[in-house]
Amino acid sequence: MIGHLVRGAALVAGQEFRIRLRTGRWRWLLGAWVLVLAVFTALVDAALSSVHMSGARGVPLLGILMLFVLGLVLVISPALTAQSVNGDRERGTLATLQITRLTPVQIALGKLAAGWAVGLVALALTLPFVGWAMAEGGLTIARVAGVVSVAALLMGVVCAFSQALSALLARSITSALLSYVVVFALTAGTGIAFGVLSPLVAEHRPTVGSYDETISRPDRIWWLLAPNPFVILADSAPQLPPRVVEGPDGRTYVRPDDPLSAFGQEVRRIRIPPDTASGSSAGLIGDEWAVWPYGLGFDLLLAAGAVWVTARRLRAPSHRIPRGVRVG
Amino acid sequence: MDATLCHVTEDEPGVVVQDVWRSFGSVAALRGVQLSVPYGQVTALVGPNGAGKTTLLLILATLLTPDRGQVRVAGLDTAADPSGVRARMGWMPDVFGVYDQLKVREYLGFFAAAYRLDRAAGAARTAELLSLIHLEEYADRPVHVLSRGQKQRLAMARALIHRPRVLLLDEPASGLDPRSRLELRDTLRSLAADGVAVLVSSHILSELEEIADRVVLVTGGQTVGEFEMAELGRQGRVGYRVRATDGAALAAALASRSADSSDQDSAEVALPPMTEEEAADLLTGLIGAGVRVVAYEPLYSRLESAYLEMTEGRG
Repeated sequence: MIGHLVRGAALVAGQEFRIRLRTGRWRWLLGAWVLVLAVFTALVDAALSSVHMSGARGVPLLGILMLFVLGLVLVISPALTAQSVNGDRERGTLATLQITRLTPVQIALGKLAAGWAVGLVALALTLPFVGWAMAEGGLTIARVAGVVSVAALLMGVVCAFSQALSALLARSITSALLSYVVVFALTAGTGIAFGVLSPLVAEHRPTVGSYDETISRPDRIWWLLAPNPFVILADSAPQLPPRVVEGPDGRTYVRPDDPLSAFGQEVRRIRIPPDTASGSSAGLIGDEWAVWPYGLGFDLLLAAGAVWVTARRLRAPSHRIPRGVRVG
Repeated sequence: MDATLCHVTEDEPGVVVQDVWRSFGSVAALRGVQLSVPYGQVTALVGPNGAGKTTLLLILATLLTPDRGQVRVAGLDTAADPSGVRARMGWMPDVFGVYDQLKVREYLGFFAAAYRLDRAAGAARTAELLSLIHLEEYADRPVHVLSRGQKQRLAMARALIHRPRVLLLDEPASGLDPRSRLELRDTLRSLAADGVAVLVSSHILSELEEIADRVVLVTGGQTVGEFEMAELGRQGRVGYRVRATDGAALAAALASRSADSSDQDSAEVALPPMTEEEAADLLTGLIGAGVRVVAYEPLYSRLESAYLEMTEGRG
């Protein structure tokens, strides 16, 4: 049963991937992609080497690079699958696929795999630059592999809902546009919602005198930030061993010079209710406050729902007329 | 041979459509259409634009659900077992989407696999079909170099890849050059001879006449006539055109048979509708009267005149 499902999906994926490779100017696009990454990595590396740093340069370099790559991934991913269903409808190729013995789930998964695979090729091309960061030192294989896999998964999530929109909407322009709206909602939208709602969930405690004391309670809406791809990427990055630094006031504390950890720690702090003792002795907020499992779980559920919607819309016979078919 | 297939073949026609209704919003595309397509014959589905032909074919092709009515293809209910129907049915749409970037062999190979043929069987069937549609020399060329007629033949090969027992073609001859049309006719005739139930929709009547054994006329979403081509020739009435070297002699001979439709001494005269028997009698009479006839032919094809007659009263 599973073997059968995979065989059909692989057949569709292979076919779609071949067609994708033969259309479009991939060589130029991927060349431009590599060039942008090369320039960016070189500039960041140069900038990091010019500031005084304690510790290896590889850690911040990887962090900045991966946040940048995730941004680019979120921009290109909708384009990979935004036409995969309605584009085929327009070309009249979808119906011929639907009347074969392939099931809607096989078609949906196969098409998704093909679009995602193109994205993974682009992601694979960032590996030399990830290697550059590793060469600068301070990184573990586990951290690098974790960060890259999460970026790959998030790319699949975006491909999945973008494909569902292309199955729901007749015109590929509309579905592409709406995919970008969803990406915007996941990134900026989550942050905006968090910011706007924060004052509304604040706690008012009566104090001595005529005024209430207002206590900010972001821990009540921390989950709004969880689906944000940047939050997931940052928070899921495996922790590096804490570093102890002599502060100007003579105290010892930990200062992660790593944008991923810094961002992740910030989000975890939001989760912690006031008056709660938290943090390990080393000063890092532990995994019991991790945000990314919820965010990634939510996003993966979103992707699974998107595949389900796509498959449903590919079911035939259906009550709606296949687009592009003249009725007469 | 599959036992169920044998059973099906003997039991009922390849396509049985009973009282099928379907509307799109306020537009009723099908209003109780009836149709049967026997195995071993080519049945033509004929009707004006907007008669519901494409809607009916989409329903038969398991792509669209009817609002009401029963549809059986290859012995199976399309609503209850679409997957079983697909294994035995081939469909060629009027807008044939092909993947331009694939090679011809890859295209057919993909569909062979999609119909669950194993690799060896798929390759053998692909080679067989490439020879049938005369595209062997294009096997390793991309689909986009093919002409329109060649693409249409490729779409036909795709529809035949899994040896369907029922073949549905929507306007297959539109845009084909005369040679491709003749080849299409030969292919369909030989499929029918092999026992396939073939349904061809078209509104180009002249080409159907040579292809079809049976004609089903639909208009306004309803079946208005269903007849055999052979019987159409015997019973159908059609106007004739006669031309003779001497117009006056022709007019005199026609007048004496009260068959004249024109009072001019013209060398060419249009005659009122007649059956084939009546037309033959008249011609024999004219020649017997010494009129030197140079042309004597029906104004329309048998099918065209039947079509005009059938659709006339229906608005």
